[in-house]
Amino acid sequence: MIEVAGLAKSFIARRGGTRSVVNAVIDVSFRAQDGRITALLGPNGAGKTTTLRVLATLMRADRGTAAVGGFDVAGDPVAVRAQLGVLSDARGLYTRLTARENVTYYADLRRVPRGECAERLAMLADLLDMGELLDRRTDGFSSGERMKVALARALIHDPRHLILDEPTNGLDVTSTRALRRLLRHLRDRGKCLLFSTHIMQEVEQLCDEIVIVAHGRTIAHGSAADLCRAAGAQDLEDAFVRLALGAGGREPAAAAPAQEHA
Amino acid sequence: MTISWTIFRKELTDAVRDRRTWTIALVISLLSGPVVFLLLSNFVSGIEEKVAKREVVIDHPEYAPTLVNFLQRAGATIVPAPAGYREQLRSGSLGNAVLVPPADFERKLERGEQVEVQAVFDDSHEKAQAVVRSSIRLLAGFNREVGVQRLYARGVSPGVLAPLEVREVSLAPNQARGAQLLFVVPWAALMVAVFGALSVAIDVTAGERERGSLEPLLGNPLSTGALVLGKWGVVMTYSLAIVVLTMAGFMVSMRLITNETMAALMQLEWREVAIFVALLLPFAALMAAVNMLAATFGRTYKEAQTYVSYIAMGVQFSAIVPVFLTVRDAPWQWFVPAVSQLTVLMRALRGDPIGPMDLLIPGAVCVGAAAFCLALQARLLERETIVFARS
Repeated sequence: MIEVAGLAKSFIARRGGTRSVVNAVIDVSFRAQDGRITALLGPNGAGKTTTLRVLATLMRADRGTAAVGGFDVAGDPVAVRAQLGVLSDARGLYTRLTARENVTYYADLRRVPRGECAERLAMLADLLDMGELLDRRTDGFSSGERMKVALARALIHDPRHLILDEPTNGLDVTSTRALRRLLRHLRDRGKCLLFSTHIMQEVEQLCDEIVIVAHGRTIAHGSAADLCRAAGAQDLEDAFVRLALGAGGREPAAAAPAQEHA
Repeated sequence: MTISWTIFRKELTDAVRDRRTWTIALVISLLSGPVVFLLLSNFVSGIEEKVAKREVVIDHPEYAPTLVNFLQRAGATIVPAPAGYREQLRSGSLGNAVLVPPADFERKLERGEQVEVQAVFDDSHEKAQAVVRSSIRLLAGFNREVGVQRLYARGVSPGVLAPLEVREVSLAPNQARGAQLLFVVPWAALMVAVFGALSVAIDVTAGERERGSLEPLLGNPLSTGALVLGKWGVVMTYSLAIVVLTMAGFMVSMRLITNETMAALMQLEWREVAIFVALLLPFAALMAAVNMLAATFGRTYKEAQTYVSYIAMGVQFSAIVPVFLTVRDAPWQWFVPAVSQLTVLMRALRGDPIGPMDLLIPGAVCVGAAAFCLALQARLLERETIVFARS
């Protein structure tokens, strides 16, 4: 289970010689259960990526707590990383290595025995339909192929928890379907899946639980039906617009640009 | 340690498959020896040959048969000055002095008058300097001989004019004379340690950031210290391999290319090679760590190249400091990397004895500084601004 309570994170942004404080995350709280797919749904700059980076122990929160499988991300980051698989928005591969070598490198870093690694990679290659890619160097891979390798790399140690940052960005239909198939498979095996997105269709098709985040705060959470009911809307898109962007549907100007953080 | 080993193996595979980097490194290390030795030996032998041949260029030698006779007795070969010799001197194609006796040379000499003989030269050409000096020395010899004969003719002892008889007894070993010039050899070896593994150092740091693989890598349960150690291991291995190859190139060049003159000037046998390697190994280890640290600040490969080029430039300049120092082998030189290596290496080539402290102190300074750079880099990789700042 992944639990986040009262999370806050700000950055110092330097633009044109002036420094300003950007509040990327102000107050985010939610719970992602095992055996369920939870979506962090929000407009660009809502604070989704920052929240996921805190969960991945790559950023330290200013306030609030976050725990993965009962381990606090600030107190025991190594234990958190050990049971977490992360598909971040940075999916860089080593282009002089083959897909198999890229994945095996991570397996070795996580001390997965070689036999187990080979077995799991064969299974992942089958699920992601990437068998013929395995022994090719990743130089020149399409974004879909890169995503598949990065996902296999994130799952090679069979983590109990998986977080994915906008996983379908830049993917074609075939790759998106392969990804959905894999995520459902993992959920059915009792894994805890948390992913960020701003694509309604994806959320409707995949998610059991939706957490709407806007302007760095949790606005609402529940199933798609719960959210529609709460917003008095016909479909999820309407519900999202009403809940996240206000009744007028206009995005407030002060949206925190977490993804633009540099 | 297992984690560092895993990282080391992966980075080594990655670096070995980067054929471009690999080829450049190989070419640099294998060619630097032959190139340096070829240039040096050409330079040295050019001077030596002319001095040894004692070619003396005279404009109208027929004006001064007595002088020609003296020069020939002194073992010199007389070469009549070519037409337009002044131009040739300026351009450097004639690397000697041209002696110009007047038409009435013999008449004046006979009368015991002073004869003006011009020695025309252009010593802005370095190669010409030794030869010009040699020609002028020969004229001084003629002066002495004729002067002594005239004194004897007047019944005066030559000792009256020369109360001191100066006999030069040089205690400098053979190598010392050449070592001034031969600083190029240790300097080239030092530069190979600086530049050899630069591209690998950038690739494992800024390259990792540029291709977006640093963030997922740090999501693994590993310490940044282990990560830095594994990467450093590869950069250092690469660097050391290049240093060893370069030294092998030096040895082969010394045997094949070098002429006897150079061999007499410089000592580069197994003992010297061992000293080179013992000094360059810790230096290469330090340069690997320094270059990696500088490149860590680069968001892209290109940006990192700018940072490491500042370092390389600094090392290049500081390494030649000992060559121009008036105070030789001052204690502080032991503690400054690059300066200490060059100082000790030059002493080794000069044939001076090298004690254990000459190797231990520079080595320890390098190892300590490398450890500091690595620790700093491990800290940097925990910073959000380094991990997430992208171009």
